[in-house]
Amino acid sequence: MVQAPMAREQLFALREEIARLEGKPVPAMAAARQEALAERGGRDREKPRLSLGISMLDEALEGGVPLDGLSEIRSSCLRDATASAGFALAISALMQRQAAADATPILWIADRVTAMEAGVPYALGLKDFGLDPQRFLHAAPRKLDEALWLAETAVESGAFAVTLLEVKGNPAHFGLTESRRLSLRARAAGRPLLLLRQSGEEEASSAALRFLVEPAPAAIRLLPDRSMLGGSIGNPVFRLTLEKSRNPAPLSLILEWNPHDRQFFPAREQARPPLKRTAHPGSRLSASLNRPDRPQEMGAVLAFDQAS
Amino acid sequence: MRLTALDEAAEAIGLRKNQAVAEARAICPKLDVVEEDPAADRRLLDGIADWCDRYTPLVALDGRDGLFLDITGCTHLFGGEKALLQDVLSRLFQMGIDARGAISSAPGLSWGIARFGNGGVIADQEMELVLSPLPVAALRLEEETVAALQKLGLKQVGDLIHAPRAPLARRFGAHLLLRLDQALGLDEEPVSPRRPVASLSAERRLAEPVQAEEDILHLTGQIALSLKTSLEERGTGGRAFELVLFRVDGRVFRVAAGASQPLRDPSRIAALFSERLHAVHDDLDAGYGFEILRLNVTRHEAFDAAQEDFAGDRQKHVSLAGFVDRVSARLGEDCLQSFHLCESHVPERAVIAAPAIRTLSSGKGPEKSGVSWSRGERPLRLFPRPEAVEVFLAEVPEGPPESFRWRRMLHRVSRSEGPERLAMEWWIDGPEAGARDYFRIEDDTGHRFWIYREGLYGQLPPPRWFMHGIFA
Repeated sequence: MVQAPMAREQLFALREEIARLEGKPVPAMAAARQEALAERGGRDREKPRLSLGISMLDEALEGGVPLDGLSEIRSSCLRDATASAGFALAISALMQRQAAADATPILWIADRVTAMEAGVPYALGLKDFGLDPQRFLHAAPRKLDEALWLAETAVESGAFAVTLLEVKGNPAHFGLTESRRLSLRARAAGRPLLLLRQSGEEEASSAALRFLVEPAPAAIRLLPDRSMLGGSIGNPVFRLTLEKSRNPAPLSLILEWNPHDRQFFPAREQARPPLKRTAHPGSRLSASLNRPDRPQEMGAVLAFDQAS
Repeated sequence: MRLTALDEAAEAIGLRKNQAVAEARAICPKLDVVEEDPAADRRLLDGIADWCDRYTPLVALDGRDGLFLDITGCTHLFGGEKALLQDVLSRLFQMGIDARGAISSAPGLSWGIARFGNGGVIADQEMELVLSPLPVAALRLEEETVAALQKLGLKQVGDLIHAPRAPLARRFGAHLLLRLDQALGLDEEPVSPRRPVASLSAERRLAEPVQAEEDILHLTGQIALSLKTSLEERGTGGRAFELVLFRVDGRVFRVAAGASQPLRDPSRIAALFSERLHAVHDDLDAGYGFEILRLNVTRHEAFDAAQEDFAGDRQKHVSLAGFVDRVSARLGEDCLQSFHLCESHVPERAVIAAPAIRTLSSGKGPEKSGVSWSRGERPLRLFPRPEAVEVFLAEVPEGPPESFRWRRMLHRVSRSEGPERLAMEWWIDGPEAGARDYFRIEDDTGHRFWIYREGLYGQLPPPRWFMHGIFA
């Protein structure tokens, strides 16, 4: 009977430890301490977040993208890899601007397969996109283990305004444990880490947020006299879906990125793109009229998505 | 087949070099003949030369079976010349290598004494005395010269020393006299070392060999600490380091690591090797342990000492440099790259990717600030090699395509901008290279591409279309 209170105390201590690691509000025991801190620190104790400048999105994100943790940006197929990379780089540009001294570089940890399929980041394109190519480091590890080590080391070193880790698909070696490890490292170092999952499925991960990015028709160029230049291709536009956040309702919106001002704007929905075409239409030949019907083929014909 | 080398037992029976194997077998039927393997001999000699690095950094190969060691200034570390020679020969003997050695102030004399004399240390006064009774072959001469000299009755070096020089030169050429002078120490003969000599090095000899990686790293840190004062005296810091590990059984491992900035701090130097040893982990076989650890500074640069400020701005730079060093040591220099703009309008040549470790310390890198020609927008991702695109319909003569097939997928163009004509650089590609017309294209799903046409319609060869990049 003597041991029961001891064990309970131990249990509380462990719970507190876990809560502290996860950065969640500490239950019961530490509540008083938390209150005292809140009184003293006021709003400074709020976790640093990056506002995207869109009120609806910022509300859903509870203030913005966290500056001290892991966030995930996903594209559903490799064709959209550049759109998701563009959105991630736009956020990086904002983070870099917010970082002190404005001289901290960005680290891009590339994935070999994606680089072959969708191309490698191009310095002049980065410049056009609102980033400084001189403050951009590109890492090309050979294996996923190396990429994870790189991401961890980069976040720990604290030398980068933001670290982008590009991963193709849902590799088995990058599961919940690894993402949790990265997330804890990022939180401990107080640095943002963006996970760029190209052509990947939704997966349980330790990231606080997950966006699905799809390309959308670009904005139209504005002429100096505020008139539109018909048929022109202006600022890039992304179709965003907030798949995971504290906010339970899924949110979908369209954002335009202005590279010159380094700012997001809400974009108008232009003509809805047609539904995905399929490689096989799925329809079969019509039955013959004056002859017995040909024997049914085994199995069913499925309309697969066209290969990209 | 002939005999090329003999061991002691074979010499005792009376076999000679260049003897036919059949003849040798007639003398000794139980003869064990092993085929010659010059490459393996060479590897062994290289291994011994590596091992000899423990005595002096200046080790040179001599032919197929000899080594020159320049021990100037090294002898006191081993208790004098005699003790050094004794040490080399006894250690080699323990390893099962039958070696002969001599120490003198002329490489030529040492060569002759080691091969034809009794070895040992030759003082400067008795050089001529020791050289005189040796056969003329001890002068490193060609075989024909030796044979011709012997025919004339000039069998010993002493005969040559006292012979008149002019007729000798006329008959045998200046080479003979050069060799003679070199053996007598009258002519300077440099020894060219196998490896570049490190500008700074420090080492630690251990009574008890170490095996564990942590011990090696700890010792590396200690050695780096002893190097720090020398670096400070010179006002430099090391950019490239080499850790030389001498294993007990004579094998030598060299682990090189580079730094993005001149380094002095022992802990950062040790950290470099911590990543490097992790990377070469499988190749580094500690065996029975390492007995000597040496840290060489192979390249050093001026170290600008900077005062720390309160803002901690310098700290940030240091952490970036530390990150670049760690990654380059572990994953190789090429893993981490930075981009540099060049003055070229050809898209793939306008950007150079260089290893970050090379460009970090120079700050801006090779970039020129005035890259400001007017150009259209560039894609976020570029294909290293443009990919062929099948275009079905295009406005003739130089309009954008209506639809195209890329990677087995049909794209319908909804909007396009262009063309932006880029002529290839005739000074690189030659005058034949055709211009490219680039188009920014958006398809009906909102994907934006950068495609170009090479060649013109109505000309031969027909134009071809390529996908070069993707816009965000």
